[in-house]
Amino acid sequence: MYKRLLAGLLAATLRVDTLVARVYPDDFNPLYYTGGLANLFLTVLVLSGIFLFLYYTPSFDQAYTSVQFLTLDVPYGQIIRGIHRYSADGFMIVVLLHLFRNWFTERFRFSRDEPWISGMMLLTLTGFIGVTGYMLVWDQRSEALVAMTANAAAQVPLVGGWLRHALFGGTGLTDLLLPRLLFLHIGPAVGLYVFLWWHYTRIRHPKVWPPAVWTLFALGFVVLLTGLIPVTSQAPAVVSQRPQTLAIDWLFLTPYWAMRFLPPLVLIALAVVLIGYGLYIPYQLPETRSELGLKDSGVAQVIDANCTGCELCYYDCPYNAIVMVPSPNPGVTKAAQARKLRAVILESRCVECGICVGACPFEALELPRLLQKDIHEKVLSACQS
Amino acid sequence: MTDRASAYVLWIVVLAAVSLVCTAGIVWGELTGHHRLGGALIGVILLAYSFILLCLRKGGFTSV
Repeated sequence: MYKRLLAGLLAATLRVDTLVARVYPDDFNPLYYTGGLANLFLTVLVLSGIFLFLYYTPSFDQAYTSVQFLTLDVPYGQIIRGIHRYSADGFMIVVLLHLFRNWFTERFRFSRDEPWISGMMLLTLTGFIGVTGYMLVWDQRSEALVAMTANAAAQVPLVGGWLRHALFGGTGLTDLLLPRLLFLHIGPAVGLYVFLWWHYTRIRHPKVWPPAVWTLFALGFVVLLTGLIPVTSQAPAVVSQRPQTLAIDWLFLTPYWAMRFLPPLVLIALAVVLIGYGLYIPYQLPETRSELGLKDSGVAQVIDANCTGCELCYYDCPYNAIVMVPSPNPGVTKAAQARKLRAVILESRCVECGICVGACPFEALELPRLLQKDIHEKVLSACQS
Repeated sequence: MTDRASAYVLWIVVLAAVSLVCTAGIVWGELTGHHRLGGALIGVILLAYSFILLCLRKGGFTSV
């Protein structure tokens, strides 16, 4: 049933691709650049965040007024704040698009499980960073979020008290709260780059940046939105009064809205299940080649005598499974006589796809159990039938 | 030039004109302290440039 559902979702994804392709040429299709767009928004978030950080004072007395000063008195301060806020929404939207697209097109198989797992970590961190960002403003929404989070954290069995202390520096509102929240907003943002590094490790040609047409569109849309719907704070937090209403940003604060209907512990359990299932997705379907009906071709082998060190296989391998190393001696064939490098296969990364075999014009690579003559015969028989 | 390319040229000219007006608006916003308006117009210019790039491509003036 899950496989049928995935097949249906793949068909729907491809239909959307076709629709977008009517307006945008293939290399401009934004759906191919959701990861690059996420990078763009992340860069904008970091740059605008540095600007906001320079004006922000993490104390109960001055946090709100420093944000108000930045918003109302600093030239273009409101625009920069809005860019930070709407870029966060944009980041979350393209990250979710990226997730669903890669899920529906099954780009989590074989060695792509690592980008998937690191992507789930990135998504989780993003949600956390977004919530702490809302808390820093220290308006009535911030106060409500802190109270609801502290209450939810305290209910976690065994580690609840420790968790609340770790997040907020103790019970009640302590002077440590806002400095700690500032750290919890910026620290995990640095962590995002660590996971991004892991995210890219196994991908040879990641599209880390969208084409100019989409860079301009995304930046333009965010800046225009900032001008049309300016970001404002709510009334300042009053410690003696519990806020009655909570303005919701559906991309980051939905769990807080859900707390109206569900106990916090149920929501925490639901989040754990969702994240756990997300991490399990790459292993949910049959993963071995035989289970998928694919021939077990064997890890690609370099025929050292023929390798010229041209690097074509290195550039074409999508799984980063080939490295070029200095060659201590020349190859045997004429073309390989003057080589300075030779290709080496990293066996743990090879998925036996054969792309490198097709990339090599010197017949210096082969799949040991699927030789070129086998493929030739297979193609011939297919053509004849 | 084909009819198709001519249509895109027209769009490019219109978008360039819009960008020029927005530039004047940004200068006015800066001089009069209307920073929000200036910010919004920067957004419009970026959007216009984005569509100009698209028109250049679809009109066949640029390639991959």
